[in-house]
Amino acid sequence: MDILYLLIPLSVVLVLVLLAVFGWAVNDGQLESLDREGQRILEDDVQA
Amino acid sequence: MLPAPAAIASAGAPGADAAPANRPGLDASLTRSAARDAAQPLDAFTEWRTAADGTRLGRSRLKLSGMHCAACAGLIEAMLQAQPGVRWAQVNAATQALTLDWAPGAITLDELRHSLAGAGYDFAPDLAGPARDLRRREHRQALWRWFAAGFLMMQVMMLAWPSYVAAPGEIPPDQAALLRWGQWVLTLPVMLLSAGPFFRAALLQLRTRRLGMDVPVALGLAVAFVAGSGATLDPGGPFGHEVYFDSITMFVSFLLGARYLELRARHRAAEALEQAADVLPGKVERLRPGGMTEWVETGQLAPGDLVRVAAGQRIPADARVEGGRGAVDESLLTGESRPVSKAPGDEVLAGSLNLAGVLTLRVVRTGESTRLAGIGQLMAQAFQDRPATLRMADRVAGWFLAAVLMLAAAAALVWQLLDPSKAVAVAVSVLIVTCPCALSLAAPAAWVAAAGSLARRGLLLARLEAIEALSQVDRIVVDKTGTLTDPAPRMSRQWPLTLDAGATAAAKALAGASRHPLSRALMTALERLAAPMAEAWTSIEELSGRGLRGVDAEGREWRLGSPRWASGETASRLDAIGDAQIVLSCEGVVRAAWTFDEALREGAAAALGAWRAMGMEIDLLSGDAPARVAAIAECAGGLRWRAAASPEAKLDHVAALQARGHRVLMIGDGINDAPVLARAQVSIAMGQGADLAKARADALLLSDRLDAITAALRLARRTRRVVRQNLAWSALYNAVCVPMALAGWLPPWAAGLGMAMSSLLVVGNAARLGRETAPDGDR
Repeated sequence: MDILYLLIPLSVVLVLVLLAVFGWAVNDGQLESLDREGQRILEDDVQA
Repeated sequence: MLPAPAAIASAGAPGADAAPANRPGLDASLTRSAARDAAQPLDAFTEWRTAADGTRLGRSRLKLSGMHCAACAGLIEAMLQAQPGVRWAQVNAATQALTLDWAPGAITLDELRHSLAGAGYDFAPDLAGPARDLRRREHRQALWRWFAAGFLMMQVMMLAWPSYVAAPGEIPPDQAALLRWGQWVLTLPVMLLSAGPFFRAALLQLRTRRLGMDVPVALGLAVAFVAGSGATLDPGGPFGHEVYFDSITMFVSFLLGARYLELRARHRAAEALEQAADVLPGKVERLRPGGMTEWVETGQLAPGDLVRVAAGQRIPADARVEGGRGAVDESLLTGESRPVSKAPGDEVLAGSLNLAGVLTLRVVRTGESTRLAGIGQLMAQAFQDRPATLRMADRVAGWFLAAVLMLAAAAALVWQLLDPSKAVAVAVSVLIVTCPCALSLAAPAAWVAAAGSLARRGLLLARLEAIEALSQVDRIVVDKTGTLTDPAPRMSRQWPLTLDAGATAAAKALAGASRHPLSRALMTALERLAAPMAEAWTSIEELSGRGLRGVDAEGREWRLGSPRWASGETASRLDAIGDAQIVLSCEGVVRAAWTFDEALREGAAAALGAWRAMGMEIDLLSGDAPARVAAIAECAGGLRWRAAASPEAKLDHVAALQARGHRVLMIGDGINDAPVLARAQVSIAMGQGADLAKARADALLLSDRLDAITAALRLARRTRRVVRQNLAWSALYNAVCVPMALAGWLPPWAAGLGMAMSSLLVVGNAARLGRETAPDGDR
């Protein structure tokens, strides 16, 4: 079961990374207007 | 909200007006004072920064108008980004907010406004932006903290699981240590990040020597974490080998979940407030002596200024009409949905919308002293004011918390003697389980939810406690004029009984051209009569104090107005029409006459019936003549009435009722009735005419719908039930859980779950009040 010494720290680090990604998304305002992205598909590509 | 095209054109064309403000580096020295005046408002919604390439950029928060669909968002962004000087534009379709990064040297905001005007869009400074930003940051932070705690809770639980299921000695000590370290690392962010607010609040409470409920929470968390850390570092040491990381993370995430919901409710209330207050136009056209006009920020207006407001624009300040005629929509301030006509001499209110005509206004009150601001302050005060009962609850809670701390310490001591390994767990459980969150939320959560729901119906509470008093009312005293009856006249008699088509058409054509109250009343009365389209009327004119004159297609002159004038002063048929107030004549021959009288408000009879059905007794008190009061009382379904009552008589009447043990709700117009309103247990003032500051009422009815009061009475009773349920629940919860925690039967994680659940239950129970009573069908 020595592999646990690798896997548990790895999972802990992974969790912290995921947390950081979510924190970035929240603080970047990506969760503020959830409808906007869905509606983008209906728009003309004027700004392309 | 959308200023008329004419306004945009004149706002955009003299771009020089705003240019010094928008190009601070270029023209500032030329018109220093002008720039300072104008730059100040620009700073109110714009942040300045310097881009990487050295240009000065402004990020402005603006509010859009003219958006009718979600796809408009992309179009507006594209149109703006095509302009030189615009670095970035983002439109939020839901809130109609526009965030714009632009270079002040290359373009001005007025030029940008102009570029959108062609497509029918417009924007105005978003002065509520800072508050909204604050809320957004608060929301982000709360969400982030909650997510971190919840996410880590699950991970910690996974690492904690083996020690729950494994038999003693089944896990090798080194692997057990590894699992504990894993939990410790994952709990650290929860303690530092998510639980930060609890520690800060607890410190503040300790420093100000007022025990709040954050103190036991923070203490419980700190004790559990220190003990757990000790056990992790040195499993054989003084802290034992028990770690409580799963309990800590679980407790924090449940508590943050409850607080997150609370925060959302608070933000919704604040947004509702803001929508009511955030309607003033950004810029207004000020007339200078000598006929020149200039565009200035609304904030720069001073009493005495002359401003011009075109159709489609909001009135910037409380003002008196100096010239021009118009019709304004005051629905925001009064709930009155019909347009109100305005002529020179009339008062107009800030925030109302000019629907027709160009008005020249003399500013009377600006800024914080307007009625609009008064309403906003009243709402804000009602929500911020801590009612006396709550203040008492706070003091009780202080003693309660002190007792909790002592109890926890005593429990820890006793268990130290009985079974040292459980001492920490018991102390933590006691600290957490007794957190009086549910108790302290029981009443205010319900009151705030109910007050929000009432505000949406146009009934504004000045004191939250009024809900409690409203639930106990068993007697209602109403005033007549302006309360039970409509301030606008209503047609009571018509001569002849049936109008011929020609006279109907003529009356409609003439009355439709006027905004006089009697003309409007006549239009309302004739609304149901079909009439041929009024075609080819020429030269309709309104003569002040007399009436209207117009010539029809056949060249006949019709008059609609005062009897003497309209009947050609011949008085030939004045006898036949008796005391008519309006007469219609054709070529001097009287064709029709109407009498107007005050009438019950729409829905008044139904509201009175509903109040009776709820077991209320209703008295009608009026200063008016007995005959008129009796007539209204009869209309209203046979009320007990008293006429010719002076304010003192009214006061005595209410006092006599109170002496007999009745709980009185007084409904009055807020001006003449102020002493009576103050005397009654609860009072509601009709908000239309009242000076908000002087109306000493507990609540203001901004709409003229009496059924809002019916709803308020019902809601108050339901609120009372909900508060009792909440209090009963939290008392029961503490009575059951505290002994269990003391006995050591309640592990810390279960204590956390129980506490968070009871808070959620209380908040959820209160939220029912806000939801169910969303006005049915009329929104």
